[in-house]
Amino acid sequence: MSLSQAARARIVNEFIPRYPSKRAALMPSLWLAQEEAGWLGPAVFEEVGELLDLHATDVASVASFYVMFHRRKIGDRLIEVCENPSCFLNGSDQTYARICDRLGLDSGHGGHGMQTTSDGKVSVRATECLAACDYAPVVQVDLRFYGPVHEADVDAFLANMEAFSIQGKASVSMANGPQAVPVDGWEAHAPPAPGSAA
Amino acid sequence: MTQTPPAADAPIQHGAGQPLPWEPVLMTAVGRKGGRFLPDYLLRGGYQGLAKAVQEMDPVSVIKEISDSKLLGRGGAGFPTGVKWGGTKRNPGPRHLVVNADESEPGTYGNRYAIDADPHGLIEGMLVCCFAVGIQQAYIYIRGENLYGAEVLEHAIKEAYAAGYIGRNILGKEGFDVDISVTRGAGAYVCGEETALMESLEGRRAQPRIRPPFPIEVGGGLFGRPTVVNNVETLMCVPHILVRGAAWFASIGAPACPGPKLYTISGHVNRPGVYELPMGTTLYDLIYKYAGGMKRNQTVKAVSPGALACQLLPGTDLNVQMDTATLTRPPHWHPPFGPVGFGAGGIIVYGEETDIVQVVARAAGFFARESCGKCVPCREGTHWMQDVLSRIAHGHGRPRDLGILEDVTRNIGGRKTLCALGDFSVNSVASALRLFRPEFEAYCNGHARSNAAGSGVPLAAG
Repeated sequence: MSLSQAARARIVNEFIPRYPSKRAALMPSLWLAQEEAGWLGPAVFEEVGELLDLHATDVASVASFYVMFHRRKIGDRLIEVCENPSCFLNGSDQTYARICDRLGLDSGHGGHGMQTTSDGKVSVRATECLAACDYAPVVQVDLRFYGPVHEADVDAFLANMEAFSIQGKASVSMANGPQAVPVDGWEAHAPPAPGSAA
Repeated sequence: MTQTPPAADAPIQHGAGQPLPWEPVLMTAVGRKGGRFLPDYLLRGGYQGLAKAVQEMDPVSVIKEISDSKLLGRGGAGFPTGVKWGGTKRNPGPRHLVVNADESEPGTYGNRYAIDADPHGLIEGMLVCCFAVGIQQAYIYIRGENLYGAEVLEHAIKEAYAAGYIGRNILGKEGFDVDISVTRGAGAYVCGEETALMESLEGRRAQPRIRPPFPIEVGGGLFGRPTVVNNVETLMCVPHILVRGAAWFASIGAPACPGPKLYTISGHVNRPGVYELPMGTTLYDLIYKYAGGMKRNQTVKAVSPGALACQLLPGTDLNVQMDTATLTRPPHWHPPFGPVGFGAGGIIVYGEETDIVQVVARAAGFFARESCGKCVPCREGTHWMQDVLSRIAHGHGRPRDLGILEDVTRNIGGRKTLCALGDFSVNSVASALRLFRPEFEAYCNGHARSNAAGSGVPLAAG
């Protein structure tokens, strides 16, 4: 696993000039590397470090601070269920348990450690507030938000996630008034590829 | 969630069909086709605040206008924006602007919504700040989870560059150059703290810095340069202040901290959502007039008025005005923990069926996981609170555990840590112990509410 030529070029030509210090390009560089490989391994720490004049250990110490940087291979898709109070009050624990059950994972696992299905297709973990509490309980799949996903909705959700997508929609409260039109038109303007906003 | 699209000329209404007491100021994009794109923003009077600043005013008068408007920061600390800008400007450049879009406080989601709906409102506010303070490089730091928001912003920035609102000699003003870029976080609540955020932006672990020097000073800001760190919502107020005047802004809502506010309300209410209302709207109105009342008609047991980092308000205190000034003054001040706190206006409402012990145990777990590990009281204490509360919530509490909890909360809180995460981590726990002590005692005496004990299963679903 190593960085592609395109990624190296983007780090050098786009990320580094954006900041007064080379080091500051680290966050976008790590995001880019993770988009390419799905996770961040020792080789990437070396390569990114070389480009930014940092020791690989230094890069790893930063990457390990942030829960969204994965330092081991995870499933093809990552499902994260919010478990903070607003979602908890609306039944997120049951949602989490049902998702685990459906995927053959340990629903009593309870938490923020990640579980991956044996075929390597899906990883599941609990997560902190996703700032979409009007759609509680909220589920995040590969950095997109879905909700509300109640326990009873889980089967339908796993079959067709897009039906639960909240992104580009107005808040639930807005949805009840005459302002209810989703803020649309975004998709028509050539949406960037997922993750391109590193 | 199916709904019929409204008639185009329908009156502007919110939530449960209650007309707002006013025309929204910040959320004019909602419901408009392509509302988040530049053409629609211009139709709504976009970039006129910037034009007025650049063409009719000078930087000093812009800062004076913002000061006169009495705009307080919307991120939680409630610091006067004009003072922050003026202070930064007094220090030698180069200077930076950092937009704190790391909104991670459980229960708070106004920024996500504002960015999705109206990214140009934020960009215009940033440009006015850059003009007033003399800044050429501005950064938006957005939480990693909000990829969609980052994409919306990237797109809006491209539009603004193409139209000449960002770049060189903006609006024909010689030497008014600004560059704006978006940096994504990667999942750390502590990045909402301004010095931790700057550490992260600089490519380090997000651990708060020792102050002084403060961010507005040399050596304290981003890359060691004087830096304005503002919240998204704060900056979105700025263009409206310039267009309509400081006096207009200062006349809205609570006199001590005026202006429009994006209240976000969630938990056991029928219509959770974002409500733009004047600062100082009462909690009762927010719950019953706008958020459609309580689920299953339960009574209100408690409220987190500023999300998880604030102290709980008892359900009997619904007449309180929701604003920074009210919630940081007596009687909303409880020694030794200080003010109840307003935070960023993220309201979590707990109905009577809530098992408060389970909620507080969750809050403690959150802060323990999110503590950055720099200061000992927070690093050790939050995990201690989590351990004890987890034991209690699982039905294994011992009578002496409540004493331990009180002791630990007193030893984390009270300015013993570099940033507010440690201070505020005890707020939910300490206030719940004060308000609902018998429930904790029941758990510790083997009389936990049977449907919650041991299972970690919440009482309320649906």
